[in-house]
Amino acid sequence: MTCILRTEGLTKRYGGKTVVDNVNMTIRAGDIYGFLGQNGAGKTTTLRMLTGLIHPSEGNIELFGTALQGNRSMAMSRIGAIIEYPGFYLNLNAAENLEIHRRMMGMGNKESIDEALAIVGLTGAKYQKVRSYSLGMKQRLGIARALLHRPELLLLDEPTNGLDPGGIKEMRQLFLELARKRGITFLISSHLLGEVEQLASKIGIIHGGRLLEEIESEALRRKTRHCLEIKVTDERKAAFILEQKLGTTDYVVSGSGGLRLYEYVEEPERVSAALAAGGVGVRELSVSGDSLEDYFLKLTGGAKHV
Amino acid sequence: MFNRLIAAELMKLKHTKMYLLVLAGALPANLVTWSGFLPRVTPDGVRAGIDLQDMFYRQGMTMTILAPFMFALMIGYIVSREYQERTINQLFAYPIPRVNILLAKLTTALLLIFVTSALSSVSTLATALVSSFTQPVDTAALGAGIRMNLLACVLSFGTVPLAAALSMVGKSVIPSTVLGALAALVTLIGEMGHGARGFLFPWLMPYWPVRELGQGLQRIDAAAYAVPGGIILTALFAISLVFCIVYYEKAEIHSGS
Repeated sequence: MTCILRTEGLTKRYGGKTVVDNVNMTIRAGDIYGFLGQNGAGKTTTLRMLTGLIHPSEGNIELFGTALQGNRSMAMSRIGAIIEYPGFYLNLNAAENLEIHRRMMGMGNKESIDEALAIVGLTGAKYQKVRSYSLGMKQRLGIARALLHRPELLLLDEPTNGLDPGGIKEMRQLFLELARKRGITFLISSHLLGEVEQLASKIGIIHGGRLLEEIESEALRRKTRHCLEIKVTDERKAAFILEQKLGTTDYVVSGSGGLRLYEYVEEPERVSAALAAGGVGVRELSVSGDSLEDYFLKLTGGAKHV
Repeated sequence: MFNRLIAAELMKLKHTKMYLLVLAGALPANLVTWSGFLPRVTPDGVRAGIDLQDMFYRQGMTMTILAPFMFALMIGYIVSREYQERTINQLFAYPIPRVNILLAKLTTALLLIFVTSALSSVSTLATALVSSFTQPVDTAALGAGIRMNLLACVLSFGTVPLAAALSMVGKSVIPSTVLGALAALVTLIGEMGHGARGFLFPWLMPYWPVRELGQGLQRIDAAAYAVPGGIILTALFAISLVFCIVYYEKAEIHSGS
């Protein structure tokens, strides 16, 4: 799959302090990349470097297959972004703010304004001055602006800030729909584990400026999935019993008499009884697996703010 | 491309007090100009008619006193509001060279200067129009007045990049406004003296073409100060413009920006 964004050794220092440290990030076309980290981890600084708002101290950024340096205009015309807080001209209404964006992007199509407002559900507030908007409405308008020029990559910094639970759900569905229908690639930074977990197809975990792990969501789900760790006298026979008596194939044989069963996690006594009835001795049975939260805390050394 | 940037800049000023500021800048000059209607007599004891050149002189004087403050306030607002309203993130993320964004802002300020100047001469031009029904129009004075206004606008623009630089560094309209107010005060004192030496103060340079219209003042040679004054103003313009360009190009936009 085409690589949309790649960073190599991306570093930002202020004086002697390293805020972003040697970040190597890869985002492929169609990814919803969840950039997860606690407040102050370096997410916004990284996003600012990706949009050219600040200059890296070291490292390279490659967007759409070309280096950002020297090709900024081309890259930025294919990106939509909300960095930290969507700023607007408060004296103007939503349509006028988007009209300014349309002109700045050199777009001819005026209808795109109505379309973008409809997508985020702000059609009714089109002529309302942004001064009177709530933070949630401003976030929506920010997303409408980011979408207006039909970008291939959307960089969204904490896009659900200020939204109520209903609004967060709507936004999540919108992002998933945009990724599916329009093929937009997303880089969404967040400090909310649940949000990233439900949305992302790939997750990058940043802490103290360092990208600790970049992992596919599916792989992370497998890593953090709860299961029954079973030590038995005969693993082949045990596998046969799990399939025939308990009707599950959701297990893996881990070797040396061990099995990992991903079903019946809440009913270990039923598993134990079935195996015993089939003549398989159970030496050990325990529930294992971390939640995403536990996994994150382990990885970051117990950072508590996420 | 540049046209759409200027169109966007002008659109940003909709529903702001900027247009009120333009009118406020133009109004005093119009009021002062009306003093030309006060009854006057010539040295021969004959009632004098409307003197178009004198009206332009009064209009120019008033405008050049207010100009440092008004125009510094205008460019200060245009530049600093991007930081105040936190639109700078989006502005600098556009696929547009930052220098073009800066030039669009300065051009918008120049347009506002021209509009303010044009509006400030409305009463003089209206007087010329009305009096043309009863007496021949003094085309020489009319031409000189228009020329004076154009030249004063261009010279007033010379100090605008400095005000812009202060606004972008201070991220507020206050530094440029303070500078403008102080410059306006010095300009007022300088104009009261009618001397040409004040041209060495860049904000007083626009008074040079105005002074040329003053009765009797043009007899005193101003060129001795106008040339070095022009050089100082040009240098100030060039240095502050280069500073603005470099600052915009190198600026890093952080959370607090």
